[in-house]
Parts: sequence; structure tokens; C-alpha cells
Amino acid sequence: MKEEGVGRRALLQGAAGVALAMPAGMALAQAAAKEAPDVAAAVQQGRLPPLEQRVGSAPMVVTPNEPNGRYGGTLRRGLRGGSDHNGILRLIGNQGLTRWNMEFTDVLPCVAQRWEVSADSKEFTFHLRPGMRWSDGAPFTADDILFAINDCILNTELYRSPPSMWVIDGQPVKCEKLSDTAVKFTFAGPYGLFLQQMATPLGQHPTLFAKHYCGRFHPKYNAELAATLRQANVSDWAQLFRQRCGDIEIPSRWGNAEKPTLDPWVVEEPYQGGATRVTMRRNPFFWQVDNTGRQLPYIDRLNFQVYQDVESLMLDVIGGRLDLQERHVDVLANKPVVAQNMQRGNYRMFDTINAGSTSMTIYPNLTHKDPKIREMLGNKEFRQALSLGINRAEIVDIVYLGQSEPWQIGPRPTHPWYHEKLSRQFTEHNTREANRILDRIGYNRRDSQRFRLRPDGQRVFFAIDVITALYPDNNDALELIKRHWAEIGIDVKINTIDRSLYYTRGDNNDHDIAVWPGPGGLEPMLDPRDFFAMHTQGTRYAVPWAMWYASGGRDGQEPPEHQKERMRLYDQARSTADTRRQGELMKRVFDICAEQFECIGVNLAPNLFGVAQNRLRGVPASMPYSWSWPHPGPSLPQQFFFTS
Amino acid sequence: MLAYILRRLVWMVPSLVAVSFLAFFLIQLPPGDYVTTYVATLAASNEIVDQRTAQELRERFGLEQPFIVQYWKWITGILLRGDFGLSFEWQQPVSGLIWERMGLTLLLTSSTLAMTWAIALPIGVLSAVRQYSLLDYLFTFIAFLGLAIPGFLLALVLMYVAVVHFGQEVGGLFSEAYQTAPWSFDKFLDLLAHLWVPVVILAVNGTAGLVRVMRANMLDELHRPYVTTARAKGLSEIRLLIKYPVRLAINPLISTIGWMLPQLISGATIVAVVMSLPIAGPLLLQALLSQDMYLAGAFLLLMCTLTLVGMLLSDILLALVDPRIRYD
Repeated sequence: MKEEGVGRRALLQGAAGVALAMPAGMALAQAAAKEAPDVAAAVQQGRLPPLEQRVGSAPMVVTPNEPNGRYGGTLRRGLRGGSDHNGILRLIGNQGLTRWNMEFTDVLPCVAQRWEVSADSKEFTFHLRPGMRWSDGAPFTADDILFAINDCILNTELYRSPPSMWVIDGQPVKCEKLSDTAVKFTFAGPYGLFLQQMATPLGQHPTLFAKHYCGRFHPKYNAELAATLRQANVSDWAQLFRQRCGDIEIPSRWGNAEKPTLDPWVVEEPYQGGATRVTMRRNPFFWQVDNTGRQLPYIDRLNFQVYQDVESLMLDVIGGRLDLQERHVDVLANKPVVAQNMQRGNYRMFDTINAGSTSMTIYPNLTHKDPKIREMLGNKEFRQALSLGINRAEIVDIVYLGQSEPWQIGPRPTHPWYHEKLSRQFTEHNTREANRILDRIGYNRRDSQRFRLRPDGQRVFFAIDVITALYPDNNDALELIKRHWAEIGIDVKINTIDRSLYYTRGDNNDHDIAVWPGPGGLEPMLDPRDFFAMHTQGTRYAVPWAMWYASGGRDGQEPPEHQKERMRLYDQARSTADTRRQGELMKRVFDICAEQFECIGVNLAPNLFGVAQNRLRGVPASMPYSWSWPHPGPSLPQQFFFTS
Repeated sequence: MLAYILRRLVWMVPSLVAVSFLAFFLIQLPPGDYVTTYVATLAASNEIVDQRTAQELRERFGLEQPFIVQYWKWITGILLRGDFGLSFEWQQPVSGLIWERMGLTLLLTSSTLAMTWAIALPIGVLSAVRQYSLLDYLFTFIAFLGLAIPGFLLALVLMYVAVVHFGQEVGGLFSEAYQTAPWSFDKFLDLLAHLWVPVVILAVNGTAGLVRVMRANMLDELHRPYVTTARAKGLSEIRLLIKYPVRLAINPLISTIGWMLPQLISGATIVAVVMSLPIAGPLLLQALLSQDMYLAGAFLLLMCTLTLVGMLLSDILLALVDPRIRYD
């Protein structure tokens, strides 16, 4: 690879540079230094091996967004209470085999420097970086990946069943070592999305567990584990393993300062119950360098303050006390006050491009338990009338401050798979047409309050489930929609409930209509829940159909043919690694989806924002906003730096 | 007296059992369980948990067992092994989590208590002695203002003004430098420099009620014949007040100690959340919100125990202070 060649040459020059610069003055040393001053000092004292031994012979080369990065400084950021482990994950915890490009369209080399995929997309061979090391200096090799896959995620005591991305056609992955720096994954069926999955947060397992450390808590590698368990006062080894080595998405991942990682910064003060802050310091063995061969990260330390309350977090943002923050404060309602205090707080704002599709998808329950309601919501013309009855322009103006446009569902206008009909049909506000449709399909009688009646004499009425605490904008939009729908004679109750009740009602298929922000704007392959029934907690227009799909036909209800057709097409798309072919198959999914019109979108999810101190350089002016592209991590915070 | 205390102690056992059962039951009452909440919390940031992982968590934490089995495991663990269980959220033993925050919690709440009494008692006495005077109206007005403004709002406004207009940092109990430093005199000074803000906010809130109680009690006593007698005998006004009516008027305050003890833990929760104070209240709130059963259960159990102990204490104190009380 061309990129790697440049890296090696630059690095060799770099090593010479260090040797020359040392006796010279400090200013010169700072300009030429290939490593941070404290690391250089540790090398001089013999506490750390020299740079080229720490990063190996093929480090990943990052071209910084801004040149001449300066070593030093502490990056301040906020977390919200407990359970905000993903606030750390998003900044530093995504060091997988592959990584996303900035555009969120393709994957790039990361821990793996290159790979080969078999023609049938069943076998994936990854080549690791020779000489790469864990944060404690132990070598990172193929054995670590084998340990993580074969001994950990496929171990039924640790994971009763392996995470679903490792299971294809009901068969778990097979993982073999070809050499110290080459690993082969074999799946039972074609797996076109595997490389992308390895770049998402849930695909981090191969690089999560260091064999030499985590093996100590594994019965296969520690014969004296029973004594360790007694000492730690825990009952089973899986529990101890999770306490010490964590997992992708649990707080204890950041609760152990001893655990070796591949991250740019390592835990210093851990994230534990009762912690008021979490601090991290530079990983001296971090395996990435910039394009002049200087080791990353530039920034010395991270300091995460733990806030109990979002408002006080927000106060520190506008007070300029946080260097980089988007999490928890990036709601549209905060934007004016953040913009207003920009000068005083000495920060700037950057855009986060919403990866979602619509701010709110309305999911009418097509599989409702009550046959009368099922018949009503199951009628496409009825849903069409509901959509025409919404005054989207008013919602955009009032709720989204004009920063959006009417929209159904589907990939965003900038995405290559943008589908005109899927995203724009029935978005005009046409009360007369909506009334005409409803009159024609048999809801023409009205009661004394001018609400329509069903043929059986009951009023046309639905409860709409929404979690106000989570998405206040959805609630605001619904208040307007309630009024819009009253104009076409439809009565609704906005059922504001707590999130666990929301999930319970969804799981039991008890809801009439539920709303949720619709994903799939930039990552239609990764989250197609609005395009067909695939997500048992997300496709809320037909949870039983999604259960049928997820269980391979064992549970749930058998969906109609047009759904099965989409399920087949998606499975095909998912099993090819060819993006163009994926696009063709997904277009057919979108065609059917647009024709069936199962769920109703309201408006395009508006772009959000983040805040960066003016001293902090290297932060891109815009980045995707997504969980699969866990912003801001893939913009590579290791190349952010502070001006003096 | 001793027999009375013993009898009361024995009665505390069934009360505790009933209360522990109730606490555990109430925690389980909301729909869903820890895993549902966990999934929902992550979903709030558009983060997704693997379906199988969620199911597995539920099995691992034993959340699918019937309520009574879960309760039995929990309570026998506490009684037989002193094991309060493991916090789901933190994968850490519950007892460690609770004790870690206890010191600062006790410090904050006891200094708040002291502050409240120190403000409220003199004002209460003064407004009773000088009833319907200008000072009485003034203090009453201020006290009611304090009662009417919620503590968290006061905290938020104070913080906003401090940040936006003075560029000052408020919130927390320590400055950045001392947060994890070992205890030293400088750290103690730093603590004091931060502590007074929440203490004042909390005291402002609690003062009004106390002032009214004290004032009413004093008014009851001030017109009793013994006061007139003492005054006729030439006792100085201050000495008279302190020695007789105040001592009696304070009586009802003693009987409220019973519910002040649990307040030491759960009080100040909302203010602590707003100001990011590292005390027990926010941890309890978080545990309840995330349905972290064992952590919340341990907290509730501790509070119930403190209530019972507090009741006993105030009964004993009352009996000591007031000779009219009999022990059966």
C-alpha cells in the first residue's frame, strides 16, 4: 500500500530526527520531535523503548486535518452521570480492524493494514501491523484476535450466545491464525457487510481483549482461577472477566486502569460508581503516526467531568469550560444559546450531519391486536390521508426553527441512493384530498364533535406512544399533528410515557401508533428498520413480522409477500460486498417500500452541532452524526491538538 | 427504660422485614427491568444493543426469575453473608458504592442541618417575642420567599449568573486540582470554599418551616403564668427566654429527628444533581432511574433502618426531656 510506504520512510527519518534534535535547544526539539516531551524523557531514562520499537514497522499513517500539530494539553469533555460509558467509547474506543472514512461511505485500514475477501464474500483474511503493541508494551498479534473470538465471544459461559454480527445462517464465525500477523474469518454464508461492521462500535470485539492480560481471568489460561475468584469475592469467572476486561458497551470497560488497550489514551482515573471525573493519559505505544512520522496522539491527557444534570453540562459549554462537546447538548433548542455565547466562551461550532432520515417516523401498527383498528391502519389509502393531513411546513417552522424540510423516509438527498418517491410522496398538506379519501373509504359519518366514525359506529381514535423525556421535539410535533388531524376528523391522544413502558408496550404489540426518529439517512444498509420489518424493537409498524424475520420464521407472524420479497432482497444485498450491486438491490427494496407506504415520515432530520474551543485545532468543520459512525471518534481525535 | 429500649429494638425486626419486602417490591413495580432501561438509555443516544446481548444480560442478572425468588436471594445474601449484591450498572459491590459517598453526604447534610437551626431558631424566637413588629414581618417574608423558591432553581440561577457574569465555577465540592488528591489541610479549605454554596441554598429552603414552628411554639409558651412569675421575680429577659420557654418550645423539634436521619441520605438530591455534588442522593436517583435493583434496594433499606433508629432516638430523647412520659 502506498500510504504505508510513505509512513515507513517518514518514520525512519523521524528516528534520525530525534537523535539529532536531543542535544539542541528546546524550541528546535519541539519542532522536530517525533514524540511527546514526556515520552522522550522516559525513553532517555530507559523506562520506555525507542519510538520505532514502540510503533512497529508499519504504523498507521494519519494525515492530520491541520499541519504542525503541537504535543501537549488536556482535552476537557463532559459525561452524564452513570451509564455514559459510550461517551468515552465515541471519542477513543473505536480501534477496530477497519475504520470509516470521513464521508461514511467506505472503510479504510485501521488495526488491519490490508485484507483479502474471497469471491463469495465468505472468507476474510486480515493482515495486522508487524510490531504493533498493546498499551502496556506487550505485542499485539493474531493470537489476541483468536483469543477474543474463539475463547471469549464463542465461549458459552461468557456469552451465552455470540453477538449476532458473528453469526451467519445460524453458524458462528470460524477464526484461524495464518501467521502472527494474519487472521482468517470464515462464515457459513456470504457476508457483504462484514468489513463495514468491523468499523462500527459493535464490531470491536477482535481488538478488545489482550490475551496476556485477560487470559488471567479465563479458566483455559489460568489454572488457579478459583483462588482469584475467592479473593475478588465473585461467584463465577464470567463476572470477574467482565469486571476486569469489560465489554464493548458496559461501564466497566473504562473502570480498570490496568487493562491494556489499543486506544490512543488509556484510563488513569477509572469510570466507576461514584466517580466525579474520569481521566486518561497518552498511550505511549499508540500505533499511529502523522504523515511526518510523529507519533500520535498530540494531546497529553483527557479529562471527562461527570455531570449529573444536562443543564449544568450545558452551562459549562457556554462558559467555555469544555474543549469538545456535542453529546447531550446538541439539541436544536440549545443552538441559539450556544451560538450567542460563542465569543464569550471562546469556542466555535461545527456541524454534525444527521445520519438519520426523518426527525420522526409515525409507525401505525399494521399488526394491531384489534381487527377493526388493524383493518383501518392496514389500509394504504387511510395512511395516505393521514400523511396528507399533516401540515409539515408548520412543524418545520415552529419545532425545527425552519432548519428542515418536509420528508417521508429513506436515504438523505445527498446520499447516492436517494429515492425521490420514497422520500417525497404525500408530503404536501392537502386537507381536501385527505377528507375526500377518508369519505370514500367508508369513514364518512361523523359524531357531534365532527370526528369521523368507523363503520361499527366507534369514533376513529388512536393513542400515539411517545417518550417525551427522550425526544421533546417529537412531542411538540405531535401536538401540532393532533390539531392537523382533528381538521380531517381523526381523534388522537398523545400518550406520553416512560421509555421502559414504551419498550414493553412495543414488545407486547400493544400500541396503536408509536413514533421514533427514523434512521437510515446515511446508513441505509446498517439500519433499514423503516424499509421493511427487520428490527424487533424498531420496526414498530409490524413488530410480529420483524420477529418472524429475526427468528428465521420460528416466532412472530408470517408477513405478507411484499415484505418477504424485501427481506430476500436485503439478505442478498447484505451478502454481497459490491456496493454497486447493493445499491441496485436496495433500490428495489425502496421501490416496494414506497409503493406499500407503511410508515409516515414528517421532516428531514436537521443537522446538529458540536462545540470546540478555539484553541483546539484539527476538528473537521462537519462530520456525520451517527452511532455506526460513532462521532466524533472516526474523525480521529488523536490528531486534534491545542495551540499554545 | 432499658426494658423499653429492648422492647422497641425487638419490634424493629418485623418492621424491617416488612419494609425490605416493600422496598424490593416497589423497585420492581415499574414496567421493564434494568436491561430494558439499559437498552432504552443507549437508544436515547441512537446507540444500539445487540438483541442477543440484551437477552443474555437478563439471564445473567437473574431478572427472569419470579419476584419472590429474587427477593429471597437478595435478603438471604444480606442476612447470612452481609452481601448487598452487585450493582448491575457498575459491576461493583453495592456496599462499596454506598460507603464511598457516605462521608461527604453526612458532612453536607449535617452542616446544612446546623446552618438551618442556627438561622431558624433565633429568628423564630425573635419573631415570637416581637410579634407583629417590622422585624417579624421582614423575617417572615424572607423565610416564605425561601420556602417558595425551589432549591434546584436557586442553584441553577446562581450557577448561571456565576458562569455567565463572573466566569466563576460553581458546582462540585472540590476544585479540579483537589478532586482526587489525598486529604490535606489545603484540600479541606478547598472543600469549605465550595461547601458553603449548597449549604446556603439548602438552608434557605429548610429555614422557613422551622421558623414558623418555633414562632408558634414560643407564642404558646410566652403567655403562660410561669413566664409572668419568672418575670415578676426579676429574672433578666434573655435568661428567662432561654431557660424556660425556648427549652419547651424546642420539644417538637426533637420529635422530628426520626425523619431527619433518612433525610441525611435522600435530602438535597435535586440540588446535588444540579450542582454535581458527589453525595449519595444522585446515586440513589440514578439507581432508581436505571432500575439497578440491588443498589436502589440497599439504599432504601438503609434509609428505612435509619428512620426506625431515628424514631427510637427521638422517643428516648423525648422521654429524657419530658418527665411526664411513661414507658408503657
